[in-house]
Amino acid sequence: MATYTKDQLKQLVNGTVDKYTLHDMQSQFKDPDRFHKILEVWQEHVDWDDRIILPLAENLFVVLKEDGKRIIKSRSGYEFCEVHENWKLHARVFLRNTEEQFDELYPRKMACHPDWMEIREYYDPNDGTLLEVEAVPPGYPAIHDFQPDIDTFYNEWLGQPLQ
Amino acid sequence: MEKSYIMSMDAGGTMTDVFFVDRDGKFVVGKAQTTPHDESEGFAASCVDALKQWDMKPDDVFPEVITGIYSGTSMLNRLLERKGQNLGVIVTAGQEDYFQLERGIQTYLGYSYQDRLKVVTHRHNEPIVPRKQMFGVRGRIDCFGKQAIPLYEDEVRDAVRQLVGMDVKGIVVNLLYSFANSDHEQRVKAVANEVMAEAGADIPLYLSSDLYPVMQDFARLNTVTVEAYAAEPSRGQFKRIADRVSGYGGDTQLRVMASHGGTISMDAKELARTLISGPIGGMVGARYIAEKLGEKNIVCSDIGGTSFDLGLITDGEFTMKAQPDMAKFMLKLPLIEIDSVGAGTGSYARVNPISNRIEIGPDSAGSKVGMCNPQASETTPTLSDCNVLLGNLNPYNFLGGDVVLDPDAAYRGVKEHIADPLGLGVHEAAEGVLELFEDHLRNEVFARIFGKGYSPDDYVIYSYGGGGPLHVCGYTAGLKFADVVVPAWAAGFSAFGCACADFEYRLDRTVNAAFPASDMDPEGFKGAVSGYAEAINSAWASLETRVAEEFDKSGISSDQVEYKHIVRVQYAGQLNDVEVTVDFERVESAEHLQQIIDRFEDAYSKAYSRAARSPELGYQTTNVVVTGTVPVEKPALPVETVSSETPPESARKEGRKVYRGGQWHEADIYDMDKVLPGNVFKGVSVLESPATTLVIPPGFEARLDEHRLFHIKEIKG
Repeated sequence: MATYTKDQLKQLVNGTVDKYTLHDMQSQFKDPDRFHKILEVWQEHVDWDDRIILPLAENLFVVLKEDGKRIIKSRSGYEFCEVHENWKLHARVFLRNTEEQFDELYPRKMACHPDWMEIREYYDPNDGTLLEVEAVPPGYPAIHDFQPDIDTFYNEWLGQPLQ
Repeated sequence: MEKSYIMSMDAGGTMTDVFFVDRDGKFVVGKAQTTPHDESEGFAASCVDALKQWDMKPDDVFPEVITGIYSGTSMLNRLLERKGQNLGVIVTAGQEDYFQLERGIQTYLGYSYQDRLKVVTHRHNEPIVPRKQMFGVRGRIDCFGKQAIPLYEDEVRDAVRQLVGMDVKGIVVNLLYSFANSDHEQRVKAVANEVMAEAGADIPLYLSSDLYPVMQDFARLNTVTVEAYAAEPSRGQFKRIADRVSGYGGDTQLRVMASHGGTISMDAKELARTLISGPIGGMVGARYIAEKLGEKNIVCSDIGGTSFDLGLITDGEFTMKAQPDMAKFMLKLPLIEIDSVGAGTGSYARVNPISNRIEIGPDSAGSKVGMCNPQASETTPTLSDCNVLLGNLNPYNFLGGDVVLDPDAAYRGVKEHIADPLGLGVHEAAEGVLELFEDHLRNEVFARIFGKGYSPDDYVIYSYGGGGPLHVCGYTAGLKFADVVVPAWAAGFSAFGCACADFEYRLDRTVNAAFPASDMDPEGFKGAVSGYAEAINSAWASLETRVAEEFDKSGISSDQVEYKHIVRVQYAGQLNDVEVTVDFERVESAEHLQQIIDRFEDAYSKAYSRAARSPELGYQTTNVVVTGTVPVEKPALPVETVSSETPPESARKEGRKVYRGGQWHEADIYDMDKVLPGNVFKGVSVLESPATTLVIPPGFEARLDEHRLFHIKEIKG
């Protein structure tokens, strides 16, 4: 069964893994110990000490606070909210809803019309990292996109409860 | 008695093999580390290693070497490692991004089926020419070879000026439809020469119409660029090897194995043809032996560490592929059609955790063998591990005993990774893996033959390579081949085959000439045959001239050359052409056309099906081909006296147990080099040589003939 060193996974996270190893990782069966190793890699990667229990998106993690609360925290250290809430409601938002603003991204007429669609860019309030982008009709609620069932995942997939 | 030798060398990625064969068919193989900076050093060391087995030195032998053949992977490695020459490219305006787009298909060429479906694994190649060194010039030749837009010569001038400033070592020119009309490319050449003369530069130009005048623009661009990028620098290597040969007193001209199955001079204009030569040697060797023995239809099967290569020889001819791919490049070179299917002896065996079934490959440990190799640190069992575990492979005989394999490590590997997860016994699991492997190969063999419209009893199957003889009984069982042949020198068969190759050039040219269905009636041809004939004949003539020019470099005059004339034909509007060899030199009559049609129809109905024939569409000749051959000295097939059926006691090695069909058998073990012609081996027997092992399971027997070929027969009912 495939297994990778922590160093290889670190390179995977940094985007420096060589193309042959990357191809292997993509083609092979999933390495069974990946989750635990990748948590260690991320934990070493961030500057804060809260325990990561789940990577949520490229720059977002679910961390376990000392009071037992599960908080969504960005790589820069900004704490958004509890895991069951929509973190986007606590982020800085840049709204593009005019043709001029679309022009900055797409050639004219190759983007949607602002009456039909707007682009919402969610930024980290600490350091301005772009965390997520959504393209939705005007007035549509902020999409709550990943609502993990952490306890079931730990109990039934990993076979050990989260303590 | 006057001696004469044939030498062939194979400079692989790690080892350089040199093979000497004398007039009686006796041969030695030498091995030495490959020395990429100067291959002639490894070549010299390998020669010394080979010849010491005859108590001779290179100086003694080379003056009597009459043929020397080179094959190697240095060109391919230069391409893979992107260490070729710095080039500039001039293309038709609009095509400048070809190496970035690479028709999409090059992002997954050569991938396993699973990975082809998995788009996330697809990746663009690093372009062999940087985008800033690609220049587009306006102008257009249409598909009929007529000028639609004149060439904008100022743009050529500007491009060449910039390329001169970039200090490129060569300029590739590939304009659209240049195979139909080379005027614009010739103009580019003239203008470029003017600019270079002004600037005092002298950069070689590589014109596609000059080197590879064939259709399919992107593959042609690739081929011409690879020629300039990777093949051109090889000339220096060849020169150094040739210098060694003459330093040893040899006066033979070194020739290079090319992808079409012939050898060409190292001064040949189109050297990229030698890029792919690895698996071809064996097929050339098989064809040579078959010809001697009067066999027409051969299946060649070669199991190496990573792949199972399968090729067909039908009516004494190879099937040629016009557009092969190599190292994720689509190329436009004639290549003997060889399919790499299934897996090799180093392929990994695993249990798929989702389906709980055994899966083999597609990746492999290759030269690292498997977990049983104490010098490698493999963590997944391979087919070799299963073979060691079941007694098929002698752990003390691997590479002649250079590496002692560890059956316990193989046992642990198979147990942990396959047997335990499946709840099977360890030996039972290992046998299951091998059965799965052999079943898979058997299906592939059958499918290839059946797909050509033949059945196995029309064919003799040859099995060679390090792993072929090990599994040959398994993958031929029940298929009822006319004969199953294993050469006693199976492991060195590729090198032997290279030495059997003709001195042969093969040049292709696109013509795209058709004659419509309406021009044909039962009485013959009413329409003007002349237009078609003119197109074919003039192309053949131009190719003959080029073949003659190539031979001229080796001091061979045109009247010594035997020419063969070939057309590639398809039904008008269809996509797959079929190669047709004709027995006339020029199309001069309706009978000639009828011969092309008849032979095409015949080949087509075999390759596809009789019902798929579509003569009403008319016939289109896509490419014409000329091959020119000069006979060369080839190794003799050994002829030894036939002795009794019982193998000599001196050939017998210590017996061991071999696991087959769920039980252990007491096997007779022999030294393959010491058994005699006429000897018969019944299952279970194992014949060992330093680089290969022939296993005869229960229900089979093998007989060694006077040419040292084993013939294997199934004896159970």
